[in-house]
Amino acid sequence: MVFVQVITGGLLLGAIYALFSSGLTLIWGMMNFINFAHGEFVMLGMYVALLVVVWLAGGPAIFGIAAAVALAALGIVIYFSLVRHVIRGPMLAQILSTFGLALLLRYSAFWLFSSNFRSLPPNALSGTLSIGGVYLPVAQLVAGVAAIALTIALHLLLTQTTVGSKLLAVAEDRTAAMLMGIRPDRMQALAWGLSAGAAGIAGALMATAYPWSPSVGETFGLIAFVVVALGGFGSVLGSLYAGLIIGLIQAVSAYWLGAIYKDIVVYGLFVALLWFRPQGLMGKA
Amino acid sequence: MKRLSSQHLRLVLLAAALLAYPLVFSGAFYRDIGVTFLLAAISASAWNIVGGYAGQVSVGHSMFFGLGAYTPLLFYTLFGWSPIAGIPVGIVFSVALAVVIGMPTFRLTGHYFSMATIAVAELIRIFVGTWDFVGAAIGLQGPAVARGWWDLTFRSELPYYYIFLAVLAVVLATTATIERRRFGFYLRAIKASERAARSLGVPVRQTKLKALALSAAFTSAAGSLYACKTGFIDPDSGFGILVSVQMVIVAALGGAGVLFGPLLGAAILIPLQTATNTWFGGGGSGLTYILYGGIIVLIARFEPGGLFELWHRIRPQRWRRAHAA
Amino acid sequence: MLLEATNVSKAFGSFLAVSGADLSVAEHEIIGLIGPNGAGKSTFFNCLAGDTLPTTGRIVFDGNDVTRASPEAHARAGIGRTFQVPATFEDMTVLENVMVGAFLRHPHRNDARDHARRIVELTSLRPDQLGRSLGTPGRKRLGIARVLATEPRLLLLDESLAGLTPTELQEAIALVRRVHETGVTIVIVEHIMEVIMTLTKRVLVFNQGHVIASGKPEDIVRNEAVIEAYLGHGRRKRRGDTQ
Repeated sequence: MVFVQVITGGLLLGAIYALFSSGLTLIWGMMNFINFAHGEFVMLGMYVALLVVVWLAGGPAIFGIAAAVALAALGIVIYFSLVRHVIRGPMLAQILSTFGLALLLRYSAFWLFSSNFRSLPPNALSGTLSIGGVYLPVAQLVAGVAAIALTIALHLLLTQTTVGSKLLAVAEDRTAAMLMGIRPDRMQALAWGLSAGAAGIAGALMATAYPWSPSVGETFGLIAFVVVALGGFGSVLGSLYAGLIIGLIQAVSAYWLGAIYKDIVVYGLFVALLWFRPQGLMGKA
Repeated sequence: MKRLSSQHLRLVLLAAALLAYPLVFSGAFYRDIGVTFLLAAISASAWNIVGGYAGQVSVGHSMFFGLGAYTPLLFYTLFGWSPIAGIPVGIVFSVALAVVIGMPTFRLTGHYFSMATIAVAELIRIFVGTWDFVGAAIGLQGPAVARGWWDLTFRSELPYYYIFLAVLAVVLATTATIERRRFGFYLRAIKASERAARSLGVPVRQTKLKALALSAAFTSAAGSLYACKTGFIDPDSGFGILVSVQMVIVAALGGAGVLFGPLLGAAILIPLQTATNTWFGGGGSGLTYILYGGIIVLIARFEPGGLFELWHRIRPQRWRRAHAA
Repeated sequence: MLLEATNVSKAFGSFLAVSGADLSVAEHEIIGLIGPNGAGKSTFFNCLAGDTLPTTGRIVFDGNDVTRASPEAHARAGIGRTFQVPATFEDMTVLENVMVGAFLRHPHRNDARDHARRIVELTSLRPDQLGRSLGTPGRKRLGIARVLATEPRLLLLDESLAGLTPTELQEAIALVRRVHETGVTIVIVEHIMEVIMTLTKRVLVFNQGHVIASGKPEDIVRNEAVIEAYLGHGRRKRRGDTQ
């Protein structure tokens, strides 16, 4: 019974991993670019949720949307002010740009919010359900399910809508897309908005169920790398499967080996992927 | 001929200044900054070989630093040996790690390599923190009292200063030699365009591996020096991300891919870091890293070549203005 | 035969970019590869150069099988190539750019530098000029100089003469001729008919992945199949660009 508990917990958290990782994989697919600050976007989403609850007494729907919008805006700003310039330049500039941004965001958060762990004050999602002997915090359940739904929604957006096909066209062949009248710049900015928005809302969802501090950004960033590497660079659906798998692996490792080993297993998996299957489950290398 | 001797003159002046510094500024505070400066310059110069010249941006170089820092203290703790015994072992481990990481990732795009470096460094840091054999979260300590000079445990900063200066000279001399030879040309070609380099017969993957291995060896040596000087190491001070950050920013600020870039970067950042830490006290280090993050973003956005590049861009204009009048 | 390519095909997924192409090049020849865009000539060219792995077929150079050899191995074997968009080493001088190529056969710096200097003179570039400051014609000449420094026996020129003014074009053609005179065998992919007519002795025409015609330039331009390929008799469905 405890084992079922561990598995469900892992899958629910993994769903959230899937959601924010899909944002990272989207950017990779579009521009062959890795956002080293992606974990910090998730972390900021958590704080936006906190601020909305504390200042505006908003409920989950409100702070969820607020986090998505705030981070989407940040993502677009970062694209226009920073990414667009470095993408055409040397690798050093590309890597350092978001790496430096990650530091800036992380330590600014430490300075503003201190390193204490926070939780959201009691809200509509507080409380625990008991389903067949398994105890599930309502927040974890709702967050996990919502995350899966949103990831699938992103996948559908990309594959079934006009906007989505424009995004994919730019990802496939920028020049050809331009010749078809699509504006690559706008599509890439949109991708950054979606990516950051996904991270933000994932953060808000996570904030309902798990405590956090500014340090979590670093961990989430690395988890996103592993999920994207496992699921395949550029594949949102791949991120969904991989996120769930990683969440599961993490939970089971914590259960069997102890909490301190859960990250070791996940990062070790990443190193193994590098050696044996860099293209992951479903993507292009 | 004339230009050559003015370059030599500047080099001699620099060497003289570095040699004389701790004698002129003999207070413990100034000597400590001097030692910290040299250590930062050594690590950043080591990083520069693979990150600056070859353009393979490692953001997890602390993995080599940490290995180099732990092995001397480990040998001392386990066997009572002089920390010096551990230094070559650290280098061997670091080179082996470099090959293990480089071989799969150098086949793929540069981003993959960078991601791998950050993940592996973090992996090692967490792992070391759980392993009692190496002191787990508490870490390891060196000799409290020196049994002889070979324990490299001095009460004064002065011996450390000159040892570090000698090591820095070795790193810079090696880099300068590389610059002039085929290996250096190949590194720069790879950084500029791997595809073109390949078409000219440059063995890209092997060259990158050699650069990473060399860089790892020197970084490991820097870590060993650090451990000997502070007499203490733990997972964060050895393998933490801030160790990697400092190497990168010191090299990038001065000029990545430039021989004296790391030296310039260290000359600016170490005093700056000391100042912000002193002024803002405990909260100061948080502010320092906000500043570092901002500086790195600015470098990336406006002047990836660092201050040396900036200087070269401004200088021709000064020449033109001076001669126009 | 210096180079012998037999039955080379390249498929990208379900799209067949090159299908059953053959090419024999004897020493000292200058061969042209022409064809409309998307015809497969560049993909075939990339197979010859080692940048693309052929799906089927065999490529033999000087008796050695280089079908699956890497670009580096190609260079070492004596096959050099230029790029359509020359990837100049921006922060290095012209001389240093060429030295990178020279180091292949001259591992020691002074030898490499002397060899590079001679090549740079051949292409009338200024050795101390920074790669970044070169204009398009200079970059193209540098691209040729760089690969020449590797002392290739076979030189593959990939649309290296596009985007030049008429004067620059004449100079470039003269340069290619000079290179040929030093004993290098050349295969040129080109759109500019003047280059093909004046430089090459034999031309292969690609269309839709196949070689549809091969022969002397003056015969090729009168060939009906070739004319139809370029002007297009009715629309044929193409599933993407192979460039």
